[in-house]
Amino acid sequence: MSRSTTPRKEAISASTLPELPGVLVAKRHHLLVRWSHWLNVPILLGLILSGISIYWASPIYQHKPDPNTGNFDVLADIGIWICAHVPGLHHYSSPPDWIYNHMSLGPGMLALALRLHWLYAYAFMLNGAVYVAGLIAGGGWRGLLPRRTDLLDAFRMFRYYLGFPLAKLARRHWPHPGFNTKYNALQRAAYFSVPLAGCLSVATGWAIHKPMQFHSLAAIFGGFDAARVWHFWLMWVFILFVVPHVILVFADGWDTFRGMIVGWSARVKRSEVHG
Amino acid sequence: MNNKARGFFGERPLPKFEVDPQVLRRRSRRDVLLFGAGAVAALAGAGSLLPQNTLTGLGLRRNVNSPGKEWLLNSALRIDDDVAETLYSPRRTVPTYTKSQITPLKNNYNGATPAPRYIPGWHLTLDGLASGVSAPLDIRSLMTRFSIHEQITRLVCVEGWSAIAWWAGLRFDDLLRAFPPTSQAKWVRVESSVNLDASGNPDPYYVSIDLATARHPQTLLATHLNGQPLTVEHGAPLRLLVPVKLGLKNVKAITKITYSAEDPKDYWAERGYSRYDGI
Repeated sequence: MSRSTTPRKEAISASTLPELPGVLVAKRHHLLVRWSHWLNVPILLGLILSGISIYWASPIYQHKPDPNTGNFDVLADIGIWICAHVPGLHHYSSPPDWIYNHMSLGPGMLALALRLHWLYAYAFMLNGAVYVAGLIAGGGWRGLLPRRTDLLDAFRMFRYYLGFPLAKLARRHWPHPGFNTKYNALQRAAYFSVPLAGCLSVATGWAIHKPMQFHSLAAIFGGFDAARVWHFWLMWVFILFVVPHVILVFADGWDTFRGMIVGWSARVKRSEVHG
Repeated sequence: MNNKARGFFGERPLPKFEVDPQVLRRRSRRDVLLFGAGAVAALAGAGSLLPQNTLTGLGLRRNVNSPGKEWLLNSALRIDDDVAETLYSPRRTVPTYTKSQITPLKNNYNGATPAPRYIPGWHLTLDGLASGVSAPLDIRSLMTRFSIHEQITRLVCVEGWSAIAWWAGLRFDDLLRAFPPTSQAKWVRVESSVNLDASGNPDPYYVSIDLATARHPQTLLATHLNGQPLTVEHGAPLRLLVPVKLGLKNVKAITKITYSAEDPKDYWAERGYSRYDGI
């Protein structure tokens, strides 16, 4: 157990406090992991907003131009539908722009959107490197690796999350599936896939950005045009991850949230690994 | 159980230690406050990079077009251009395709295509040559003097669309060998007859190309598209075809080529796009 005793000594000597019986805490996240985790919030937001502005210039999903409006962009159609059906939006000045005005920097901003996208993309790659450095330095990468039992365990967790609100309403006892690893199988699947999606976003991004110098990379994703489709849907992986991620962290409570800021968790029992 | 038995990939127990409840509280307060300050700073920093229209849309009237913002965005663009220039290799050629893979090529020129009146009197002027004199060349002498090369390559637009087309023309490199530029030359300024905006008013089009890219074996001065002489829509009688650059550098109906030591003006760089545009 050499690994677990070293930080203990460090922490006590660093706090220069007398050895009093206190709260047992576990070190969950390395400093670099915490920093890069939070920096992802503005970076991903900037990448998505500028990315949808870039998408506007040449949408992937197009249809034959509408005889009345001349519109050929499926995203613009969604904006038109929203303006026609959502009360209060009937008089919106430019319905085809609704999506771009609300989910991007706005239409007709290609030059600025590209500059911002490069700025945030370089920041994203640097931040990713910091995250990986933190995972290695803190040994946290081991906790993210998939296990053989994960498929079944992930299903048990999924059933728990689905049934939880109903059980709460019915005031029924709904036990949390037991596990003795840092993350449960569903968390592990998510926290393993998201960095993977990050790597794929960077790879498809370079394939689109430099399709001639990196033509063999573009070929892996099926060529330039297909790499754009990959890049577009990888954005949705982040969006679809963030929503339950934020909900579950708030549902799980203060200790989990604090863990990503301070790095310590006072819920030691649950985060224990039994050898 | 020790680490060896767990294997290299096995999860280790989390490091645990005891802390005074007060220390935990103080440490939490300190870090959460620091985190909050950082979050506000990051939000303000990232928010100030948003375009003015978006900020006005969000109800923020204050003008945040600070010089710092311009500097940051310009640095990102410059770093990206430097990366692109580093990636470029004169030996790395772009993929070529078969005739069955040819796709429609749209005429993305938003302005008014000029009347074909200019074609009979058209000639190409070369300036900034080692000889010190400018050389006017007509299309017939260009096509007879230089060998014509064919290639089926992809044209990638900054907007995100791309098209595969079958081109034929002379190599820019051959022209450079026949009419060598001054020894200091690092850049090429390319001007076009396509110089009217959508309402027919003068809107001169000019781009810069670095000399290294001009020398690339797949950089053509194209005369034909899909086996036919170029139409006015596609830049008759001669257009630049440079597949290692974005479509916007592939100037139609070239009229003048000027070699220079200094980075020449570029139509799109003046409008906030990158200068190098290597892809």
